[in-house]
Amino acid sequence: MKRMGIFYHTSFSRRSYLTVGRRLADFPGALTPLLRDPAFRLVECPEAPDEWILRVHDPSLIPAVEADPL
Amino acid sequence: MAAAEGIADGTFERAFAFIGAGGHHAGRDYFGGYCCYNDVVIAIAHLRATRGIQRFAILDTDAHHGDGTRDLTEQDPAVLHVCICGASYASPDGTKVDVPLPAALWRGTGDPDAVYLETAEAAFAERAAAFRPDLTVWYFGFDGHRGDYGDMGLSAKCFLGLADLMTRVADQASGGRLLTVLGGGSRTDLATALIPPIIERLGRRPAEA
Repeated sequence: MKRMGIFYHTSFSRRSYLTVGRRLADFPGALTPLLRDPAFRLVECPEAPDEWILRVHDPSLIPAVEADPL
Repeated sequence: MAAAEGIADGTFERAFAFIGAGGHHAGRDYFGGYCCYNDVVIAIAHLRATRGIQRFAILDTDAHHGDGTRDLTEQDPAVLHVCICGASYASPDGTKVDVPLPAALWRGTGDPDAVYLETAEAAFAERAAAFRPDLTVWYFGFDGHRGDYGDMGLSAKCFLGLADLMTRVADQASGGRLLTVLGGGSRTDLATALIPPIIERLGRRPAEA
């Protein structure tokens, strides 16, 4: 069993909603030394379907987020 | 979600989830504070719906209060949510707890890293052990690092110490199962310097660290 999964998507390293600029610009490259250890595995995050979001959020939230200028 | 599934299915014992937008300020019908959808609560709902996993213990060490997560879990006694922030609160059933930062952090007296770590351990370790979650969750923001937007005078020492705390708590409380979700923090240099060693620390047994 792999002990540690690292879940990442290249879109996270482009301009991030969370920050001004690209805080994850150095990833996934910054993980290269770590990934030489077989205990660590990089996994590409799949897109979360809307139905998962709607288990928690009101349907009005999705269009509101998509319309946000940030 | 995929990280939570990976742990639930036994592919991984622990996981670290990078994000494109934050989660803990997003509530049922609102978002903001650089958060769009509440990733942690969606993961909880997803694991309950698809894997039958019920109990979750969350420590939120982002610099700001996890208001969305709190609103979404307020009536859920199977979620322990401990938030280290500016408030002081404990719900009647003890599953929703806000712990204020010690005044020493603001006065600049003492070692901020040590003060924060002591606060986090006192707030979470015993509560999580007694709660016996199926999955332990660390909402990890590095915005409290010196020079970032939530500056609390913290350094890498604090965040590495938190990683050790969370692995220890997860080992004791949830069979080692630990999901870490990235929260706030804006600086590229800090992300690059902090995140890889934290993942390394999270992925190793204490004896290996």
